Amino acid sequence: MSLTQRFPVGPEVPVTELVSRLQSEPDGGRLKVGDPRIVEFLTKFARKLLAPAVARRYPELASLGFFLRKGEIQKALSGLSDTGDALRFPRGLVFHVPPANVDTIFVYSWALSALAGNHNVVRVSSRSAGAAEEVLAALNAALSEVDSETARVITQTQRMITYDRSDEISGALSLAADLRVIWGGDGSVKALRQYPLAPHARDLTFPDRSSFAVVSVAGWQAASEAERRGAAEGFYNDSYWFDQAACSSPRAIFWVGDADAAASAGVEFRRLLGEVLAAKQHVTEPAMAVQKRVSAYGAAVDGLVTSMTFDGNAVATLELTEPAALPREWLGAGTFASASVRTLSDLVPIVVRKDQTVSQFGFGREELVEFATELAGRGVDRIVPFGSALSFSAVWDGYDLLAEFSRLVSVPV
Amino acid sequence: MTVFTLSQAEREATLLPQLAELTAHHRANSPGYDRILSSLGIARDAEFGSIAELPWLPVRMFKTHDLKSVPDDEVFKTLTSSGTTGSGASRIYLDKEAAGAQTRQLGATLQTVLGGERLPMLMVDTVGIIKNRRSFSARGAGVLGMANFGRKHVYVLDEHDKPDVEAVKGFLERHGDQPFLIFGFTFMVWLYLYEVARDNGLDLSNGILIHSGGWKKLIDRSVDNDEFRRRFREDTGLHQIYNYYGMIEQIGTVFLEGPSGGSLYCPDFADVVIRDPETWAEQPVGKPGVIEVVSTLPRSYPGHVLLTEDLGVYNGIDDGDWPGKHFSVLGRLPKAEARGCSDTFSGQAA
Repeated sequence: MSLTQRFPVGPEVPVTELVSRLQSEPDGGRLKVGDPRIVEFLTKFARKLLAPAVARRYPELASLGFFLRKGEIQKALSGLSDTGDALRFPRGLVFHVPPANVDTIFVYSWALSALAGNHNVVRVSSRSAGAAEEVLAALNAALSEVDSETARVITQTQRMITYDRSDEISGALSLAADLRVIWGGDGSVKALRQYPLAPHARDLTFPDRSSFAVVSVAGWQAASEAERRGAAEGFYNDSYWFDQAACSSPRAIFWVGDADAAASAGVEFRRLLGEVLAAKQHVTEPAMAVQKRVSAYGAAVDGLVTSMTFDGNAVATLELTEPAALPREWLGAGTFASASVRTLSDLVPIVVRKDQTVSQFGFGREELVEFATELAGRGVDRIVPFGSALSFSAVWDGYDLLAEFSRLVSVPV
Repeated sequence: MTVFTLSQAEREATLLPQLAELTAHHRANSPGYDRILSSLGIARDAEFGSIAELPWLPVRMFKTHDLKSVPDDEVFKTLTSSGTTGSGASRIYLDKEAAGAQTRQLGATLQTVLGGERLPMLMVDTVGIIKNRRSFSARGAGVLGMANFGRKHVYVLDEHDKPDVEAVKGFLERHGDQPFLIFGFTFMVWLYLYEVARDNGLDLSNGILIHSGGWKKLIDRSVDNDEFRRRFREDTGLHQIYNYYGMIEQIGTVFLEGPSGGSLYCPDFADVVIRDPETWAEQPVGKPGVIEVVSTLPRSYPGHVLLTEDLGVYNGIDDGDWPGKHFSVLGRLPKAEARGCSDTFSGQAA
């Protein structure tokens, strides 16, 4: 059973051979945390992603390019400096299994792990689409623009591969890994967990998550027309970029404050969102429109909603019978459950471990810190302003990824 | 005897009060259905000005939820369909009365083209499809439902799904000089009956073919309805060909192709609305849209007004072989797929 080497491009190889190559010592010395050879390669690669032609075609790759600029990389690494008696080292060989349908996650996962000095093997989906192909082309092009010594060490330690479903390959890579990183939700985690790891190794898993939005009614009232429009625009990006199916995209909006004021704010927000959708020339495919009706009517049958409003095919608003009825599954692009609560504290009892991102508008930092403190780890890993729900960061799902990708050696003297 | 008699104006006048009464009946007896309409802001005493104003349910609701308007102890038969792969099965609940009505009305509809006699019947399928009476595929249910309209059944395929030419020849020797009934799913009729009849020079000119089941597999072979009819007529003599459109969620209601071909007609207890997928308003003749099927038969479950996931177009109103609207089915809506973090193809993860 052979696998295809997509980066660096190479001939088909059996998995055993690939593993033994990736486990050998690289020329020019072992990789270190924040290894300058990796940094050099990443910044060359980032420049390719930021090229206007690429960024125009795939805006999500421009975000990735920004994330990998030299300044950003240094900032991320600065949080990792050796402290006191502890020295930080790479974990070894990391096996990444990204989701098939978000084309860029595998790059973030890989880049941070490489920055931590690991040897990496990334399984890229054979169903990968445009953006992923563009990424692989940029990686391969960047390889010919770094000096030969850097190119050689990258080639010896980093691999992106494609293979069809195979117990043999997934099994061998799992057994060889010092850390296995599984994205793509519960199904992927369950599928990969069949393959044993070495006794010292462990999994870093990213299971199914769901997210919701909160708006301060007082904050909304205090906001200018331009700020409100900005909120609608940010909310559009958060929700519609990935058909609302990204785990960070909000599936419900809670209006926090006076109920009557919340109702009129909600009406205004929907109007502004409609204007954004019109300006972006958003199209809802008929099949998606039907999907949304099926989900919405289903929620009604289940007794979760008191009323449903369809503003064209683009926005469906489902008024919840109670905040606790918030849906955590995907209902179709542009389907938002809505409810009003007096305070953020009212949301605390309904939060579960699965809840990942709270996107917020109109709250002050203090209120949000208080909310996070009150949640006390029940759930919610990030609270971000409208418009930032989809921005990836080096801290994800509650993990400081660079720390997860490295280990400490303590030398108390 | 025909059930294709009502002009569009007569149909509106006759069916609208019945359908409004059905809507009220389902609201009173199906809490889930009532919750949908209430959430949409439709008052319990709402008046509807036309059939097109009646609230529709997406047909897929019957795959995701149990909706019925009869108490559990009156459910006489539960129909399940696999439908398209991976989308779960529809569950349709019939009480005795509804089960009787659907059989009766299907019979009345088909009598329009078959006459009152039960005819010798050629089944373009394998007898295996109905062998296991406990778990039917949708195809098996269709075959079994149709078998009642014929007698002396002969199956065109043997147990290995190979055409049994001798069996077909034997059938034609016995019955081929009198009217006989042929039933099958469109692609099977094409693959197994047309080719066998053509290659063996069989004479099907006394046959009446009833077929259904979509053109997708045939479009790939560049055979459309016109081509299908033309080649059958030229190569086998078969000229009485009736395609029909129906679904398990409105069991008993079939929209039948008229004698001149190319257009489907509504029986007198049913209607069709083609809707613009952007605005959901009714489309004019000639503009494609999503097909909504309407029937007075579903009384034991709220399936009287259903938005399908098929695309269609009105070919005309009150200007065809039979009165009322007549239309064509153009294909299916593509499946809504989302790009998300969760890999919906988790089976591929290994």
